[in-house]
Formats: sequence, C-alpha cells, structure tokens
Amino acid sequence: MKQLSVILVLALGLFASVSGVSQAAEIRKAARPQGGALNYGEYGRPATLDPITSNEMISMRISELLFNGLVGISERQDVVPELAQSWNVSKDGRVYTFSLRKGVTWHQRPGEALVPFTANDVIFTYNIMMHPKTITPLKVRFEFIEKAEKLDDHTVRFTLKRPVLNALAKFSFKIIPKHGPKNPLYLTREDSFVQHPIGTGPYMLDNITADREIVLVANDKYFKGRPNIDQFVTKPFADQNILTQALTFNAIDMIVLVNPRSIAEIQGDKRFILQPYNALSYSFFGYNLRNPLLEDKRVRQAFGYALNRQEMLSSFFNNQGTIISGPFAPGSWAYNLDVQPLAYDPRKAIALLNEAGFKQGADGIMQKNGKKMELTLMVPIEKESEAIKRVVLAFQNYLKNVGVTVKVEFKEWQSWKEDVFAEHRFDIVFASWVFDDSADISSLFHSAEIGPWKNNFGSYSNPEVDSLIVESKLTLDHEKRRTINRKLHAMLANEAPYTFLWTLTHYSAYHKKVQHVAIHPYKFFSFADEWYIPVTAQKK
Amino acid sequence: MPVQAMAADDVTSRAMKLYEKHHYEDAARLLRPELEKMAVSHKPAASLALGMIYLGSAAVYRDLHQTALLIELDYLMQLSRQKTGSASRAVDFYLGQALLETGRINEGVSYLQRFADRSAAKSPFKAFADIELGIAYSRQKQQEKAEQAWSRLDLSKPEMKAALAGAYSLTGVQQQKSVAMAEAAWHEAIAQRHTPDTRMLRNMLRAYSHGGAPEKALELLHANELKEASYVENFGASKSINFYDASLLQDMAVTNLRAAVQYLEKAGRDEKLGPSATYYLVDAYLQQGNTESALRAAASTLAQTKIPQQYLDSARIYQAAAQYKAGQRKEAGLTWQAMAEKSAQDPVVLAALVRACTQAGADCAKLEKLALAAVEQGEGKKFFPLHAALGKYYLQQKKYSKAESYMEAGRDKAYKNKIGVNDPVLLIGLAEAYYRNKKFSENLEIYFEIGKQYPVVRQIQEAMQGIYSMEQQSAGDVKIF
Repeated sequence: MKQLSVILVLALGLFASVSGVSQAAEIRKAARPQGGALNYGEYGRPATLDPITSNEMISMRISELLFNGLVGISERQDVVPELAQSWNVSKDGRVYTFSLRKGVTWHQRPGEALVPFTANDVIFTYNIMMHPKTITPLKVRFEFIEKAEKLDDHTVRFTLKRPVLNALAKFSFKIIPKHGPKNPLYLTREDSFVQHPIGTGPYMLDNITADREIVLVANDKYFKGRPNIDQFVTKPFADQNILTQALTFNAIDMIVLVNPRSIAEIQGDKRFILQPYNALSYSFFGYNLRNPLLEDKRVRQAFGYALNRQEMLSSFFNNQGTIISGPFAPGSWAYNLDVQPLAYDPRKAIALLNEAGFKQGADGIMQKNGKKMELTLMVPIEKESEAIKRVVLAFQNYLKNVGVTVKVEFKEWQSWKEDVFAEHRFDIVFASWVFDDSADISSLFHSAEIGPWKNNFGSYSNPEVDSLIVESKLTLDHEKRRTINRKLHAMLANEAPYTFLWTLTHYSAYHKKVQHVAIHPYKFFSFADEWYIPVTAQKK
Repeated sequence: MPVQAMAADDVTSRAMKLYEKHHYEDAARLLRPELEKMAVSHKPAASLALGMIYLGSAAVYRDLHQTALLIELDYLMQLSRQKTGSASRAVDFYLGQALLETGRINEGVSYLQRFADRSAAKSPFKAFADIELGIAYSRQKQQEKAEQAWSRLDLSKPEMKAALAGAYSLTGVQQQKSVAMAEAAWHEAIAQRHTPDTRMLRNMLRAYSHGGAPEKALELLHANELKEASYVENFGASKSINFYDASLLQDMAVTNLRAAVQYLEKAGRDEKLGPSATYYLVDAYLQQGNTESALRAAASTLAQTKIPQQYLDSARIYQAAAQYKAGQRKEAGLTWQAMAEKSAQDPVVLAALVRACTQAGADCAKLEKLALAAVEQGEGKKFFPLHAALGKYYLQQKKYSKAESYMEAGRDKAYKNKIGVNDPVLLIGLAEAYYRNKKFSENLEIYFEIGKQYPVVRQIQEAMQGIYSMEQQSAGDVKIF
C-alpha cells in the first residue's frame, strides 16, 4: 500500500515501555496516591450503560470510564493512541490500518478467564453497530466506512467510501467485547450486556445498588496503568437543587452539572472548586411535524415570537446562559453570528397564526377548519426540576396568550424516550442536545434520519437542508463546511423545526480533595484515570 | 474615585452607571453628544466621566488588538497552508498585513509582494497591497521606496485617497495632509454615491486618529459598528471567507486613548475635579508611553492632601511604573516591594502592584510570591482582582495553564462572561488563555458576550471559529441531555 505516512503519534518513549505507557507518565502516576472513592451526583439515571445503545449523556459519561476507542482525543485536541498503538493512512485518505495494542484484557466477569482484546472485537463492534436491528444513534456517523477487515489478531483495516474530514477522530468510538453481548449479531436494550457491560477501560462495573447507584471499581489491569481513585460511584438525583445540598453536606464529592441557580452558593464555599466545561449544548422546544397543526412554518415561527426567552432565562436560570438563534451553540465554530434570535413579539405571533389560517374562537383558542390549536408538551420526569417546571409552565402561559392550548405531560425518562424517539407520540417536546466539537447536526435534521430511534424525531424534511448537509459531509474544505453550516443555521432558524432557546452555563463542582482534575468538555471523564485523592482525604 | 460624587448631571450619572457596567461604548455614545449642550458648571464632571470612559475603552481595544493579532495571524497561517478546496488569493494580502502588524516586516513584505505580483495591474487590491508595502518600506526606513509604491495609486478613487491618508498618518509622512485628504475622500465618496466599506472607514479612522483629529475619529467610531468584513472572498455558492483588518482595533485603541487624555486634561483644569482627573491621567499617559507627563501627574496626585489612601497607593504604584519606564528600574522595584510587604494582607493593593509590574514587563517574582501567599489565605470576592492580576501575569509568562486557573478564580462565576460584572479586560485575558490551552468554545463564548457591547470583536470570533473548525478532533457525536 502506498502510504502517506506512518503516523506514530507519540514520542519514541511510548514504544520503549512494555505497557505502552511512557516512562514519564509512569513516574507521574507513581507520585500520585492510589485509593479513595469519588461519589458523583447525576441529574438522573442512565437507561443503558453500554456505548452503543445509549443516546444520552449520563450513560455516555459512565461508558467513558468503562470503555476505550481505537484512538482518543487529548486535552489539546490531538488524536492519541488508545487501543490502537499506531496507524497509517493511505495516500488517497481512504484506507486506515490500525496496529492494535497487545496485552490488553477485558474486564473479568466472575468465573471467567481473562480474555485478551483482539482485532475480532473491533470488527465485532463495527458489525454489531451497523446491524439494521441494533438500536443505536451511531449508524449515521459511520456510514462513510465501506468495510472493516481483520488482517491479523492485532491489525485491522478500515476502507472508507471516500476521504472525510477528521476521519481519524471518528475511530474514537468505543470497542465492546465479542464475548460481551448475548446476541452476537445485533444489540438491543433487552440484551443483559447493556446493563452489565464489560470493557477495557480504567474502571469496571462492580454493582448497581438497590438505590440505583452505580459502583465502578478500579481496573488493576488497565493498560495505561491502574487509575488512582479506587471507586467511582454514580448517584442519581431527580432534582438539581438536591444535588447542591448533597454536595454541601458531603454526601457526594462532585456534581457533573451544577444547577445554574446554585453557582453563586457553591462559589462562596471554599471547600469546592467550580470548573467550567463547555459542552456545546442548547435547549429547545421541538415540534412533531407529523401533526398537521404544526406543518406550517408560520405556526412554528409564531411560537418563537410568543415566548419571552430572555425573561425565562433570567427568571428561571439566573441569566446563566445565552439566548441562541439557531441549531448551533454560540461556543461552536459553526454558529452564524449574523442570525439574531427572534424578539419577543406576541402580536407578530398572532399575525403569523392568522396568516397560517388560524382564527381565535369565542373561547380565545386559535382554530382552523374547526380544529382547535390544542397540543401536548412532553417533558421527561428527570427534568422535573423546579426550573424546568417553571419553563414549561411559562411556555404554556405564553402560548395561551396567543390562543394556543398546551397540555403538559411529565413522563418517566425511558418512557419519554420511547414516546418521542420510537413511537413519535407527542406534539411538542422540551429537551436539550449536547454536541461534541464537530457540531454535527446532520442526524437531527436530515430526512434520512426520520424513523424509530433516530434523532430526527420531529420528522423535519427539507430537500435543500438535506442537500446542504450532504455537501457539508462530502467536502474536505474546512471553509466550505463553515459556509454551509452558516447557511444551515440561517435556514433552520427560519424554518423553525424547533424553537431554539438557550445554551446554559456548564459548571462542574467538586471537593478540593479531588486533585489533578481535567474535564473533557463533552465526554467528561476522559482523563479521570489521572485524578487522585490525597491519602489524608480518602474515605471509603 | 467615587464616580457618583462627580456626576453633576443626570446624563453624566447615567453614563457613569454604564461605565460601571463596562458598557463604555454605550456610555460614550450617550454622554459625548450632550457635552456641548450642558451648563458650564456641569462640563468638568462630564469631561472627567468621558475621560474615564474612553480610558476604559482604550484598555479594552488595546487588549482586543493584541489577542486579535495572535488569533488572526494563526488563522491566516492555517488558511494559507490548507491544501484542500479552492485556494484563497486574498489570504496572502491579509497574512502579509498581519505580519507587518506584528513587526515581522520581511515576511509580511514577501506575502504582500506575492499578492501584488499575482494581481492585475489595475485591480484595487493591487493598489491596497502597494499601500501596505509602502508602510512596510517606511518602517524599514526606505522612504523613497515607500513613496514609489504610493506613487502608482489612482487617487481619484475615494477609497484609495483614504487609504493613502491612513498610510501617511500612520507612518508620520506628510501627517499634516492626512486629515484633509481623508475628509476629501469622504466628500468624494458621498458625491460618487460610494458607500464607504470597513476598510475605507479604518483608513479614515487611522488618518484622523494619528493625524490629530480625535473628535472626527470619535464621530466616525460612534456612527459605525465596524463589525463588517474588510473583504469577502467568494468561491461559488458554497464557500466564502471573510477577511478583517486586525489593525482596526489598534486604531480604535489609539483613538480612545487620545480622547481619554483630551477629556481628562480638560477636566484637569477644573479646580474641584482637577485632582481626580490628574489621577486618571497618570494611567492614560502611561498607556500612551508618555512617561514624563505620567510622572508629573503622579507627583501632582501624591501632593494632594485630601485624597483617600487607596488612590494614593494606586498613584504611587503608577508612579513607580513610570519610573520603571524612565529607566529607574531599581527605584521602581524597591517601591513596589516595600508596598507589597506593607500590604501583604491587602488584595487590592497587591493586585494593583502585580498589574503594574506585569504591564511594565518587570521581574515580578517577589511580588508573585507575596500575592500567592495572600490568595492562599484569603477568600471571597475581595480576592477576585488579585487572582485576575496573577492570571494576567502568568499569561505574560506564557504559563497558560496557571493563567487560566487564576483568571478563572478571578471571574465571578455567578455571572460567567457578563461584562456588567466581570471586567472585559479580564475576560479578554481569560479568552486568550483558553485559546492557548485549546479550549476554543470557552473562548468563543466570552467573545459572544463581549460582542454584544463591542461588535468589532466579530473579527476575532470569525478567526477563532476558523481555527476551531480546522483543529477540532471529534467523532460527530450528539446526545440528548
């Protein structure tokens, strides 16, 4: 094969060490004490713990501790070796050959012998991920791969359909063991593996308690060296306010996402550190365009004008965030700075509804062809924090002011997801998306992503948007991709498949005893194996 | 100085409220047009307020300019190295210009020359390249060559006339002509129904500001947001690149600083408010590099008997900074050290000392030690300025991780990037630390907020977005919250 280059990302020291970890890193690690437990609070419970079937953040954070990808991304945005120790890329950018790390083993299940990680696991992961019956939002991300082949036990080759931007980083998807799932062909939420996964990562699942706490313990055989902290315990809380209390009363050591209203309180407490991490996220009201009442974009635009988003942000979140104008977060490279958020203008909202053929009836409710504008807003129960309740009630009131009736339904998280993603039984949802740095909105708005368990749950379809999304995926030109995303931002702001609301300030809070904390802005725990707790502060 | 005490007029009071929120642009736009209409007795307070407002603004634009040079140069370098897609032609011009700005004149000349050589003889961009080349030659003391580069320009075009006026003014060549030339260009543009673009406005600002017409420069600034690109290069329907002039921010900083000095000197002549104005003038003169005037103003402030202690301390710190710049380094160091030891528990004085020492580029190791000891002991908002000052110090020392963590600790997190609470100068420094540490989205969020009051930061945002887009390494993941 003609090779552009053999990319050996780390210095030669990497290969000098038997374990594949540099001497300097070994020395650094040795200087940090092992032991202690870190209890961290989450704002809900994960539905699954594997990296394939999950599509929410709580699961992803746990799977970051349990699994590894072929490559990882360093704090300085470099692609670094993980389960692959080196790789090369063909000159035409279509063939990626990975040399896998030797001596890596899977977490050991009781009564099982140690199983080594091999090329079979990589091919298995790819195949199961792409199987039509596997429930996963990941397929769309890997459609650019033509085939995956095992060359030998420690070498795999991926052939791409075409060269793509940042292809290498896409191989950071987590590898699962061939001997993991019960069904070797496809993975569903019924497979016991999704609740009791094993990986190669720094932590192993120990147990899930009766209180749904998830206990992870250090993997002594971790290929980068045993992590410093003995135990990570995930504690679910239904309400973010209680999370703050739990932290201040020492029931937990860390909150992954601080309630914006608690920032001032935690800032004033010298025991804790508040660390910002900029997950690219935003909240929105999303519409089900299958409902004829919501088909006309003027109706959706009217909803945008009916809301006083600044007032909601100030009143319910202490103004800890930024109003947005479109489908990207303001901290993203793709945000179109020329598109301004819609102003609060209820008169314009009514005018737009009138233009769309709706007239207010005697009861004050808008109607068209005898059908009243009555809609259901579905909110997951994990979001039943005080602030979220206020947001949805405010939404209800704002829309009432323009003649739209909204019934709010709180649903248990898993059931909410089934209604929204699988059955599409909703009119409006309140939710938030979180993106990694690629700010990839294709799965949200491309018409090919309409269907059960796909992200375009509102069934938004626009050929022009589809074509821009495809063009953006095909190009290898960064500036062209930026221009296309600016256009997409403007178009989607105008088409309003969602009412784009705000991006909230993301702070994690943790006790000062936890040291050397670096947080990945999206995956959060990517560097957690380096964290430590001084011996004097350790508790079990 | 307590600002309310000086606010003798309602408009002045309102402007000072905006000043306290660091909304310097709004404050200046509100107060300046009212100044002439005010009763004579109210003018000194308004002048003092305007002086303070422009001084604050100057510091913001100065720091924005520094960060713009860093980020925009990196962006243009990366853009010029891109091998995929249609290659930009304009990148050579803007890269050359940015290199000149950073003092890398030979490199700048080579890019500009390459751009000029590839441009059609009569294209406007060829002429703009000639103007920039002339500036470069002038800086290299090759005046004849500079004049030759400028001799080929078609001055019947208002944008060319404004560009040459800007170049004259910047280089000090025929500086006296530059203001008249810029005005003529403006009138010709109106007559020709030619809407001045950002580049022409930048050149006029440059001509007015460096040519001694600060009022005209201010009028121009107040009438324009200046956030538009200097040039948009289009490549078919799906690609365009916006290019900006980082030097615009420098011209804005100079304009604001000159205005600050002008208004503070005016207020300084008032018997009652003179001492307050003189106090702020020390800083303004220092920023201008006018050491002698800074020393005189500091001495005058220190001679005041009724001035509160914190202002005396501050004036003494400025005085030492001026001494340092005047070559009396040992004396300055001893003053700072003595003050630091005496105020080892006072985070406000320590913060001012660290800031002054950092700005002077002096050896601050001893101050650093005392400041670190103080932040270790102290807590609460009172210590925010000291954390911020240490962060800036570490930024200058190129210790970016420390810079980030100290500036983080100096930011009021309950208002994260809101400039109403957090000083934009701190936020700009923190944004640079984030950039150096490759936390691009944190950087962009800061500029998103700053941009609401200072729209001209668009140029930094666009360059930052460009770098982020090229450097980000991620898989394309998205999850429901």
